[in-house]
Amino acid sequence: MTDLQLWLSAMEMGCFFGMLALAYYLVQVGAGFFNFAIGPYAMMGGLCTSWLVIEYDLGVWPAAGIAVAVTLLLAAGTELGVVRPVQRRSGGGELPALVAVAAVLFTIQQIAGYLFGHPTLPGQSLATFDPLPIGGIVVQPSSLLLIVVTVLTFGVTAVWIRATRTGRLLRAVGDSKQAASLLGLPVNRIRLVAFLAAGFLAAVAGLLFAPKAGVHSLSGLHWSLSGFLAVVIGGTGSVWAPLFGGMLLGLVEVFLPYYFGGQSHVYGMLLIALLFFAFRPQGLFVRTVRA
Amino acid sequence: MTDVSAPHAAAARPRWDIRQVPGIGGLGLGIAAAVLILTWVGSDGYRQTLVTASVTYALIALGMYVPYLMAGSLSMAYSAYAGIGGYAVGLISTRTDLPLLLAWIAGPIVAAVIAVLLGLATRRLSGFFLAAVTLLFGMAFTAFLIDGERLTGGSGGVGNLRPLRLFGWMPSHYQVVVGSVIVVCVVAFLLDRLRLSPWGVIVRTMRDAPRAVEAAGVRVPMMNLVALALGAAIAAVGGGLFAYSAGSITPDTFTLNIVFLAIFMPLIGGSGTPWGAVAGAVLAVELTLNFPAIQASGTLLLALGVLVIMLVAPKGVIGYADKLRRRAMTLPRRRRTGG
Repeated sequence: MTDLQLWLSAMEMGCFFGMLALAYYLVQVGAGFFNFAIGPYAMMGGLCTSWLVIEYDLGVWPAAGIAVAVTLLLAAGTELGVVRPVQRRSGGGELPALVAVAAVLFTIQQIAGYLFGHPTLPGQSLATFDPLPIGGIVVQPSSLLLIVVTVLTFGVTAVWIRATRTGRLLRAVGDSKQAASLLGLPVNRIRLVAFLAAGFLAAVAGLLFAPKAGVHSLSGLHWSLSGFLAVVIGGTGSVWAPLFGGMLLGLVEVFLPYYFGGQSHVYGMLLIALLFFAFRPQGLFVRTVRA
Repeated sequence: MTDVSAPHAAAARPRWDIRQVPGIGGLGLGIAAAVLILTWVGSDGYRQTLVTASVTYALIALGMYVPYLMAGSLSMAYSAYAGIGGYAVGLISTRTDLPLLLAWIAGPIVAAVIAVLLGLATRRLSGFFLAAVTLLFGMAFTAFLIDGERLTGGSGGVGNLRPLRLFGWMPSHYQVVVGSVIVVCVVAFLLDRLRLSPWGVIVRTMRDAPRAVEAAGVRVPMMNLVALALGAAIAAVGGGLFAYSAGSITPDTFTLNIVFLAIFMPLIGGSGTPWGAVAGAVLAVELTLNFPAIQASGTLLLALGVLVIMLVAPKGVIGYADKLRRRAMTLPRRRRTGG
């Protein structure tokens, strides 16, 4: 494990999974719900950008802007159009919401496949400076951008959720929806904010990560699972926990195939999921509440 | 004296009426639809393929019906279970001289055993966690099929299956199609009976109030395992039928796509009865395979349709038809009394 290039690769994966996990975390805190459509949001962010650039010769920045806007629409549609009506009808049951979000995931994948076609498109890099040689390895501009944006995002989110009014409302609604609505807090609006923030994070993560391996209309499911695992490993005790979980998962995704070949990261992920779900389903970082 | 004992005698020995048999209505409608479909198919090879695909989808959806809609836990490893059934047929057909019928016994048993093991490993999970682990299991199973080249033939899979021979009788392709349709009808009818049986009532109560059932002395984890094993075995039968009809099986035959479709089929058809899963399977095949004009967007239409059905008609097509039927039946009565 001395090859620095591999460590860089693992860090990129970790940053990407961490961003997805942060998106999960926000919806989980604000709406008490795992939004499995996060992977497809990221896919939409990456694929829509690439498609606009390749098909319509649009600049990368306007294309990325359009892609993020589309993803925000999808996120708002998920909450307003599907999850909220289904949850309202089913009461507290988890299964209807799960099936609904599976339907959303599947639908977004199919829409993307229908609109953008099925080949894997290369990701478009927002940064265009020359690759940087750092300590014997070469850092691609897209990698640097992904890492920097991830760290910034986590910092901003940590401040936002702790210090701003919306962040405090988010935590209040997440702690107890009943108490929050009794106090007259705008529960529905806060939930929508959580979904929109998650959609935004996922779209940005997807379009920043796409240059690494390209993006395909079916990438979303795998990304959904990775982000979910990252947030489960990290736990929901701190805003930084998803980043930790993502990094751990990034190491697994990079080093297992390197040492054990081909498909071993799939087995590794299954094993990690089984171990964590069985022994520590609350994750590594847990918020302790004084009794 | 006689007018007192007469109702007693009637209660003790009621006249047997076929309409009193639970689930018989669904069976009747199902058989009628099956006969119509089979006469429509005839000797057309393409239509036979469509029916085989419908049968496979229906069996996978029926397999999911038991744990998913009766016990209320969404296990998504059904691509693996169907794959096990398919590979059982493929491997017994090419690697051994055993009678091929054995594959439909061995495959479901192996699938049930795997389902029990996975169920034991995930017995404390529900909802999103269970869905994630079982999805990962399905992915890992595909990876295993590609990796384990010596056993499974790698990404090329197993081909050139030999034809079925039942005690010297070799059924034609059409006869196999008819047989598989009969299997679907039988399984759907039995599951309908199971749903109404004491076991089914316990399992369905378990979904809504697990603690109450546990407190009543039922071992809920055990019931869940039985439901999972039963579902996996049914899906394996479907996988075997598909592999036999297609003549080959590869790791790509049963993908996660089928699992998602199988989740939606009961919702489209109607989750109140197993026949809903069958109706949903037929509709899914029609939309995704049969219409050349919308083939590219068939799956998209299906996905959008599922969202609409979930929001508008939560009981699915059969539930909606039932509502219409009831409304139509009460209409003349109301006119008679109210007019």
